[in-house]
Amino acid sequence: MKNNIKVERAIKNLTQEELANKVSVSRQTINAMEANKYVPSTVLALKIAKVFTKSVEEIFFLEKGD
Amino acid sequence: MSSKFLLANKYKKVGWFILIPSTILGVILAYNEFDLDWLWARVVAIANDGKDGNYVYLSFRNTNITNTVVGSFFIIGALLVSFSKEKNEDEFIAEIRLSSLLWAVCVSYILLLMAFLLVYGTPFLDVMVYNMFTILIIFIVRFNYILYKNSNPVTDEK
Repeated sequence: MKNNIKVERAIKNLTQEELANKVSVSRQTINAMEANKYVPSTVLALKIAKVFTKSVEEIFFLEKGD
Repeated sequence: MSSKFLLANKYKKVGWFILIPSTILGVILAYNEFDLDWLWARVVAIANDGKDGNYVYLSFRNTNITNTVVGSFFIIGALLVSFSKEKNEDEFIAEIRLSSLLWAVCVSYILLLMAFLLVYGTPFLDVMVYNMFTILIIFIVRFNYILYKNSNPVTDEK
Protein backbone atom coordinates (compact mmCIF):
# COMPACT_ATOMS: atom_id res chain seq x y z
CA MET A 1 0.00 0.00 0.00
CA LYS A 2 1.16 3.48 -0.85
CA ASN A 3 0.22 6.83 0.62
CA ASN A 4 0.73 10.51 0.07
CA ILE A 5 0.93 11.51 3.72
CA LYS A 6 4.08 13.47 3.02
CA VAL A 7 2.42 15.57 0.32
CA GLU A 8 -0.67 16.19 2.43
CA ARG A 9 1.54 17.12 5.33
CA ALA A 10 3.36 19.66 3.19
CA ILE A 11 0.04 21.18 2.06
CA LYS A 12 -1.12 21.52 5.68
CA ASN A 13 2.39 22.66 6.66
CA LEU A 14 2.71 20.08 9.44
CA THR A 15 5.90 18.44 10.68
CA GLN A 16 6.01 14.70 11.33
CA GLU A 17 5.94 15.48 15.03
CA GLU A 18 2.86 17.69 14.76
CA LEU A 19 0.95 15.13 12.72
CA ALA A 20 2.04 12.40 15.15
CA ASN A 21 0.66 14.40 18.07
CA LYS A 22 -2.63 15.06 16.27
CA VAL A 23 -3.26 11.34 15.78
CA SER A 24 -1.53 10.36 19.07
CA VAL A 25 1.18 8.07 17.72
CA SER A 26 4.98 8.30 17.85
CA ARG A 27 6.94 10.24 15.24
CA GLN A 28 8.57 6.97 14.20
CA THR A 29 5.18 5.69 13.06
CA ILE A 30 4.60 8.65 10.72
CA ASN A 31 8.18 8.28 9.47
CA ALA A 32 7.74 4.55 8.78
CA MET A 33 4.45 5.11 6.95
CA GLU A 34 5.95 7.81 4.73
CA ALA A 35 8.80 5.44 3.89
CA ASN A 36 6.18 2.79 3.01
CA LYS A 37 7.62 0.52 5.67
CA TYR A 38 4.48 0.34 7.74
CA VAL A 39 0.83 -0.18 6.84
CA PRO A 40 -1.30 1.56 9.48
CA SER A 41 -4.35 0.07 11.14
CA THR A 42 -7.75 1.11 9.82
CA VAL A 43 -8.23 3.28 12.91
CA LEU A 44 -5.00 5.18 12.31
CA ALA A 45 -5.72 5.55 8.57
CA LEU A 46 -9.14 7.05 9.38
CA LYS A 47 -7.61 9.40 11.94
CA ILE A 48 -5.01 10.63 9.46
CA ALA A 49 -7.66 11.17 6.79
CA LYS A 50 -9.65 13.20 9.32
CA VAL A 51 -6.68 15.48 10.04
CA PHE A 52 -6.31 16.17 6.31
CA THR A 53 -10.12 16.43 5.91
CA LYS A 54 -10.06 13.99 3.04
CA SER A 55 -11.36 10.49 2.48
CA VAL A 56 -9.08 7.55 3.23
CA GLU A 57 -8.89 6.63 -0.48
CA GLU A 58 -7.45 10.02 -1.31
CA ILE A 59 -4.49 9.36 0.99
CA PHE A 60 -3.92 5.60 0.87
CA PHE A 61 -3.76 3.56 -2.34
CA LEU A 62 -3.51 -0.14 -3.06
CA GLU A 63 -0.48 -1.29 -4.99
CA LYS A 64 -0.02 -4.18 -7.39
CA GLY A 65 0.35 -7.31 -5.30
CA ASP A 66 -1.80 -6.06 -2.41
CA MET B 1 0.59 -7.19 20.88
CA SER B 2 -1.49 -6.17 23.84
CA SER B 3 0.30 -3.63 25.98
CA LYS B 4 -1.25 -4.96 29.20
CA PHE B 5 1.82 -7.14 29.66
CA LEU B 6 4.11 -4.13 29.50
CA LEU B 7 5.37 -2.06 32.42
CA ALA B 8 5.17 1.72 32.64
CA ASN B 9 7.80 3.71 30.74
CA LYS B 10 9.64 4.79 33.93
CA TYR B 11 10.85 1.22 34.51
CA LYS B 12 12.88 1.39 31.31
CA LYS B 13 15.32 3.81 32.92
CA VAL B 14 15.53 1.66 36.05
CA GLY B 15 16.23 -1.29 33.76
CA TRP B 16 19.15 0.44 32.02
CA PHE B 17 20.62 1.44 35.39
CA ILE B 18 20.66 -2.22 36.41
CA LEU B 19 21.51 -3.70 33.02
CA ILE B 20 24.58 -1.62 32.13
CA PRO B 21 26.63 -2.26 35.30
CA SER B 22 25.65 -5.92 35.39
CA THR B 23 26.62 -6.34 31.73
CA ILE B 24 30.06 -4.85 32.45
CA LEU B 25 30.50 -7.09 35.50
CA GLY B 26 29.18 -10.07 33.53
CA VAL B 27 31.74 -9.57 30.75
CA ILE B 28 34.54 -9.29 33.31
CA LEU B 29 33.27 -12.44 35.02
CA ALA B 30 33.14 -14.29 31.72
CA TYR B 31 36.78 -13.51 30.93
CA ASN B 32 38.31 -13.93 34.34
CA GLU B 33 36.37 -15.87 36.88
CA PHE B 34 36.50 -14.17 40.28
CA ASP B 35 34.55 -14.29 43.51
CA LEU B 36 33.99 -11.24 45.67
CA ASP B 37 35.13 -12.19 49.17
CA TRP B 38 32.27 -10.42 50.90
CA LEU B 39 29.61 -12.06 48.76
CA TRP B 40 29.07 -15.30 50.62
CA ALA B 41 25.62 -16.44 51.63
CA ARG B 42 23.66 -19.38 52.91
CA VAL B 43 21.33 -20.30 50.08
CA VAL B 44 18.53 -22.75 49.46
CA ALA B 45 19.51 -25.19 46.75
CA ILE B 46 16.73 -27.09 45.00
CA ALA B 47 19.44 -29.22 43.43
CA ASN B 48 23.13 -29.37 44.29
CA ASP B 49 26.16 -31.65 44.05
CA GLY B 50 26.31 -34.33 46.70
CA LYS B 51 28.95 -36.93 47.44
CA ASP B 52 30.02 -39.51 44.84
CA GLY B 53 28.55 -37.50 41.97
CA ASN B 54 24.98 -37.90 43.20
CA TYR B 55 22.53 -35.02 43.29
CA VAL B 56 21.19 -33.65 46.55
CA TYR B 57 17.73 -32.12 46.41
CA LEU B 58 16.45 -29.34 48.68
CA SER B 59 19.36 -28.48 50.92
CA PHE B 60 21.13 -25.47 52.35
CA ARG B 61 24.66 -24.59 51.44
CA ASN B 62 27.17 -21.82 52.02
CA THR B 63 28.45 -20.52 48.77
CA ASN B 64 29.88 -17.48 47.03
CA ILE B 65 27.05 -15.75 45.17
CA THR B 66 29.00 -13.40 42.87
CA ASN B 67 27.78 -15.20 39.74
CA THR B 68 24.27 -15.52 41.12
CA VAL B 69 23.98 -11.80 41.87
CA VAL B 70 25.46 -10.59 38.58
CA GLY B 71 23.36 -13.02 36.53
CA SER B 72 20.16 -12.18 38.39
CA PHE B 73 20.66 -8.45 38.04
CA PHE B 74 21.39 -8.87 34.35
CA ILE B 75 18.15 -10.79 33.81
CA ILE B 76 16.08 -8.34 35.88
CA GLY B 77 17.62 -5.33 34.09
CA ALA B 78 17.17 -6.88 30.65
CA LEU B 79 13.53 -7.81 31.39
CA LEU B 80 12.76 -4.27 32.59
CA VAL B 81 14.38 -2.74 29.49
CA SER B 82 12.64 -5.20 27.15
CA PHE B 83 9.16 -5.04 28.59
CA SER B 84 8.67 -1.44 29.60
CA LYS B 85 6.57 0.73 27.33
CA GLU B 86 8.18 3.30 25.09
CA LYS B 87 7.28 6.92 25.87
CA ASN B 88 4.74 6.73 23.09
CA GLU B 89 3.85 3.08 22.74
CA ASP B 90 1.67 2.80 19.64
CA GLU B 91 0.69 0.24 17.01
CA PHE B 92 3.90 0.54 14.99
CA ILE B 93 6.09 0.11 18.08
CA ALA B 94 3.95 -2.88 19.11
CA GLU B 95 4.63 -4.37 15.69
CA ILE B 96 8.41 -3.96 15.86
CA ARG B 97 8.33 -5.29 19.42
CA LEU B 98 6.62 -8.44 18.20
CA SER B 99 8.79 -8.87 15.12
CA SER B 100 11.94 -8.32 17.21
CA LEU B 101 10.85 -11.06 19.60
CA LEU B 102 10.39 -13.43 16.66
CA TRP B 103 13.76 -12.39 15.32
CA ALA B 104 15.47 -12.85 18.67
CA VAL B 105 14.11 -16.37 19.18
CA CYS B 106 15.08 -17.41 15.63
CA VAL B 107 18.59 -15.93 15.70
CA SER B 108 19.24 -17.26 19.19
CA TYR B 109 18.32 -20.82 18.21
CA ILE B 110 20.26 -20.65 14.95
CA LEU B 111 23.33 -19.66 16.99
CA LEU B 112 22.62 -22.47 19.44
CA LEU B 113 22.23 -24.98 16.62
CA MET B 114 25.54 -23.90 15.13
CA ALA B 115 27.16 -24.20 18.54
CA PHE B 116 25.66 -27.68 18.98
CA LEU B 117 27.22 -28.76 15.71
CA LEU B 118 30.54 -27.00 16.06
CA VAL B 119 31.46 -26.79 19.75
CA TYR B 120 32.40 -29.84 21.81
CA GLY B 121 33.78 -30.57 25.25
CA THR B 122 34.17 -28.03 28.04
CA PRO B 123 33.76 -24.97 25.75
CA PHE B 124 30.17 -26.12 25.27
CA LEU B 125 29.53 -25.13 28.88
CA ASP B 126 30.33 -21.55 27.88
CA VAL B 127 27.86 -21.83 25.02
CA MET B 128 25.17 -22.85 27.50
CA VAL B 129 25.99 -19.88 29.71
CA TYR B 130 25.82 -17.39 26.84
CA ASN B 131 22.67 -18.95 25.48
CA MET B 132 20.84 -18.13 28.70
CA PHE B 133 21.06 -14.47 27.76
CA THR B 134 21.07 -14.32 23.97
CA ILE B 135 17.30 -14.01 23.42
CA LEU B 136 17.03 -10.92 25.61
CA ILE B 137 20.24 -9.36 24.26
CA ILE B 138 19.29 -9.87 20.61
CA PHE B 139 15.77 -8.59 21.29
CA ILE B 140 17.02 -5.39 22.94
CA VAL B 141 19.57 -4.69 20.20
CA ARG B 142 17.20 -5.38 17.30
CA PHE B 143 14.20 -3.51 18.78
CA ASN B 144 16.20 -0.39 19.61
CA TYR B 145 18.01 -0.45 16.26
CA ILE B 146 14.74 -0.48 14.28
CA LEU B 147 13.31 2.23 16.53
CA TYR B 148 16.43 4.34 16.02
CA LYS B 149 16.43 3.78 12.28
CA ASN B 150 12.88 5.04 12.02
CA SER B 151 13.47 8.15 14.06
CA ASN B 152 15.63 9.78 11.40
CA PRO B 153 13.44 11.28 8.69
CA VAL B 154 14.16 9.68 5.30
CA THR B 155 14.49 13.07 3.66
CA ASP B 156 14.10 16.50 5.12
CA GLU B 157 11.08 17.49 7.17
CA LYS B 158 8.12 19.38 5.63
